Amino acid sequence: MSGPGPSRWATFSTREEEARKRTTPDRVLMERVYGYAEKHKRSLFAGMASIVLTSLTGLASPYMHQLAIDKIIVPGDLSGFTWWIPLFVTIVLSNHLFQYIQTYRMRLVGENVVADMRDDIMDKLQTISLRYFSEGEIGRIISRPITDANTVRIFLRVGLTSILMDASSILGAFTMMYILDYRLATLALVMLPVSLLTIWYLGKYSRAAYRRAAVVTAGLTARMQEDLAGIKVIQSMVIEEKVKERFEEQQDSTVKANSRAILISSSYMPLIMFLRLIGTIAILWYGTELFGTAGVTIGVLVAFTEYQFNYFMPLMDLMAMYDQYQSAMTAIERLFDLIDTKAEVLEAPMERRLELP
Amino acid sequence: MSVAQPLLDYVKALKPRRSFTESVSAMKRLLGYHRKYSLYVALTIVLSLARSYLFTLEPLYTSLIIDQVIVGGHSDLLLGYLEIILLSGVGVGLCAFAMTYVQGVMSQYIIRDIRSEYYSSLQEKSFSFYDSIAVGDLISRATMDLQMADSFVRMWLGTIFNALFLVGTTFVILYSVSPTMTLIPMATMPLIFYFTSRLWVYTMPLFRNMQLILGKLSSYIQQDIIGMKTVRIFRRQGDIVDGFKQVERIYVDTAVAAGRMQAIYMPVSSTLLSLGITLVYVYAAYSTLSGGAAFTVGDIVLFARYLMRMSFPLRDLSQLLGTWVIASAGLERVFEVTDTHRVVEDLPSARDIPITKGKVQFEHVTFGYSKKRPVLTDVSFTATPGEKIAVLGATGSGKSSLIYLVPRFYDIDSGRIAIDGIDVREFKLSSLRRQVGVVLQDVFLFSGTIKDNIALGRPDASPEEVVEVAKIARIHDFIESLPNKYDSEVGERGVTLSGGQRQRMTIARALIANPRILIMDDSLSFVDARTEQEIQSAVEEATRSRTTFIIAQRLSTIKNADRIVVFEDGRVIEFGTHAELMAANGTYRRIYETQFLGKAADISNKGGDLK
Repeated sequence: MSGPGPSRWATFSTREEEARKRTTPDRVLMERVYGYAEKHKRSLFAGMASIVLTSLTGLASPYMHQLAIDKIIVPGDLSGFTWWIPLFVTIVLSNHLFQYIQTYRMRLVGENVVADMRDDIMDKLQTISLRYFSEGEIGRIISRPITDANTVRIFLRVGLTSILMDASSILGAFTMMYILDYRLATLALVMLPVSLLTIWYLGKYSRAAYRRAAVVTAGLTARMQEDLAGIKVIQSMVIEEKVKERFEEQQDSTVKANSRAILISSSYMPLIMFLRLIGTIAILWYGTELFGTAGVTIGVLVAFTEYQFNYFMPLMDLMAMYDQYQSAMTAIERLFDLIDTKAEVLEAPMERRLELP
Repeated sequence: MSVAQPLLDYVKALKPRRSFTESVSAMKRLLGYHRKYSLYVALTIVLSLARSYLFTLEPLYTSLIIDQVIVGGHSDLLLGYLEIILLSGVGVGLCAFAMTYVQGVMSQYIIRDIRSEYYSSLQEKSFSFYDSIAVGDLISRATMDLQMADSFVRMWLGTIFNALFLVGTTFVILYSVSPTMTLIPMATMPLIFYFTSRLWVYTMPLFRNMQLILGKLSSYIQQDIIGMKTVRIFRRQGDIVDGFKQVERIYVDTAVAAGRMQAIYMPVSSTLLSLGITLVYVYAAYSTLSGGAAFTVGDIVLFARYLMRMSFPLRDLSQLLGTWVIASAGLERVFEVTDTHRVVEDLPSARDIPITKGKVQFEHVTFGYSKKRPVLTDVSFTATPGEKIAVLGATGSGKSSLIYLVPRFYDIDSGRIAIDGIDVREFKLSSLRRQVGVVLQDVFLFSGTIKDNIALGRPDASPEEVVEVAKIARIHDFIESLPNKYDSEVGERGVTLSGGQRQRMTIARALIANPRILIMDDSLSFVDARTEQEIQSAVEEATRSRTTFIIAQRLSTIKNADRIVVFEDGRVIEFGTHAELMAANGTYRRIYETQFLGKAADISNKGGDLK
């Protein structure tokens, strides 16, 4: 019905169009969001650089422990503390500093970008055709500046930071592990696909369970909608007790559906932790076997188990972010859909208006 | 000046202090809901104790492997130690799983209880409550706000006890290795506590304000969108957007300020604990070399690792507070409604009274939705048993209010309404309303079958009774023409009924209890001539031998009424039969001649077109 290119956004999308899967590539959406962030370019780059530096300084820490054990404590050479302590303290404090810069700057950018987008939406709302405000459509329009904007806000506040941070943590941890010992690192790497698969598979399961729970919850909402719209009839017919009972029943089935979803999602974290533990045990076992051979010292083993601990958490986080990322992209697309809607009736120029009787 | 002025004033007047006490009282109340589920609470605590204990085993045995297997060369011990690490890991996993599940289910129950209580209270709220609040708002409290509460309830116990037990067991183990060195992490605790509490003292009010501003902004947007037509007509777009942008800026500033506080204080605990590790290394190394207490490499690694891991539960604890701020705001909104006084209530002396005759007396009745502006003033008249009274008056003259007072949908301010000589307040509300049939202007049908809808007030009614009232309401023939007859579904997924059909359904519904008194708000005026006629005969049949108050738009209804009461500005100005009032040559006659004769002509024209 509508032509290709950005012009197809000239009108607000219909319900059917909205239900369809996203059509705009992520890259395009990102570029447009960047357009809003450009005003805060300095904060944005300072923030992103700090994110990477935060995870790098975080990763330096286990390596520093390895040095302390192997170079100072085991040989009993206390003079090493003269360089180790200042270095370690510097790393810890700069990690804190980078965390500060990162959190503050990204918050600044995120809040401003969402506010600017929302201001544009409010401006646009005042000018687009009144037919978009017909009764059945109002809910959809309202959800743009409220629900969708909120989704984007949460994503920019935590999601984006997490993705950058987790990705650099994982890459960094593996780099460090390979520097420390390639054999143990390969062992840790072998664990990766197994873990990823498990996380992915479980995620699929729990998403399905939550979708089912969402359907039941939607039923609860529909029940309330109907009851409350008909509350005057309910009271005049004196059937309040019956309505309450019916609501309790619906609630009980909601509890049941949700509990099932909770059962599945409860197993998520423990399973991941268990996989991590298997990795730790493999490293301890193989590491002890290797002990004494080229480069495998106590410090290396200690640092290794710590790195292995460190890359698992971000991995899980990253998986959880996938959903958030998807829904944020959908929300962003919807916001632009409204922003790009053409104003149909433009204001008459001022002079003209004055001529009116 | 600006439309957004009240919103701006509200946002600027937000007080951070008061919120704290409110949040404490919400917590107390939330705790009360846990009482029924004390078993779940106990189970969570036990599991978290077990989990914390098992969790500390892994670093402990890692350090043993370092000391005994690697340094000491006892490679035969390795497998056994690894086994313990594995088993403890499995144990931790099982405990964590059970904890999450138990807490999640408990939270489901607690939220259900809060929601049920909220919903029950809604059923009891008076009409005046619903006049002043949007249904959407009520639903969002029961869903969104309670969802926020849920995300707090399903983690708070576990997080608190986890932090408590984990820090506790860690200290016990560290103490057994070296009492002196335990002083190092011990010293960081007050500092961590101090900085974390700083964080929350600063940010909690900010977060709360953010929640509140966001809520207000959302309803502001909603109002703008819903009222867009009016906004455009009065050309207030500029105003509205400017006000919005101002408030939006305040929100951004608050959020950034809160973010800055978080940025400074959040990483404090892990920084302090990391710095503590330096002291551990230095102290342990010096002590061992100088011949003091000797530490193995394993001991040192153990200390360092515990210090690093201790920051996790502490961080969780501080995030929990953030969850609480949002949850408490949601709970307050729910409790606010639950606690709203229901206004129309049974008197302690109220009882079940059967209405035998159906005489209705209004004696000096004065009533208003707000005390200052009465809608009805000193209304007095009597309807004799079986009499049909048409209520006539301009919009806002108080005629709807009048008929709503009979089943006590609202309470009057002064005077008395009596049925068969007994004050309506002497009746139990349920007893009164069961015996007064009501046909509201809003022809609302519930989803379900036609039969369900007709038998709404009396689910035990026999199929014959349902058919009988459907016949009286002149809807039986239509129902019979449907494929599933009385079992046809109405509503979204079922058959669609026209306005006239819906109205006759509601008439049948009101008759099912065979009430002695019937009140009808018959304002449906935009129907074609045939429907008009059908409704008319339904009304005639339904009102036969019942005391009826009917707000009428139709000429025929009015003429067929036994008597007519005419309202103007909340006062009865004329009362009598059609003939009497015509003869009196007053307001009624004027209305009759200008309005009804004109409209009657209009309707017959329309009917002509249809043919």
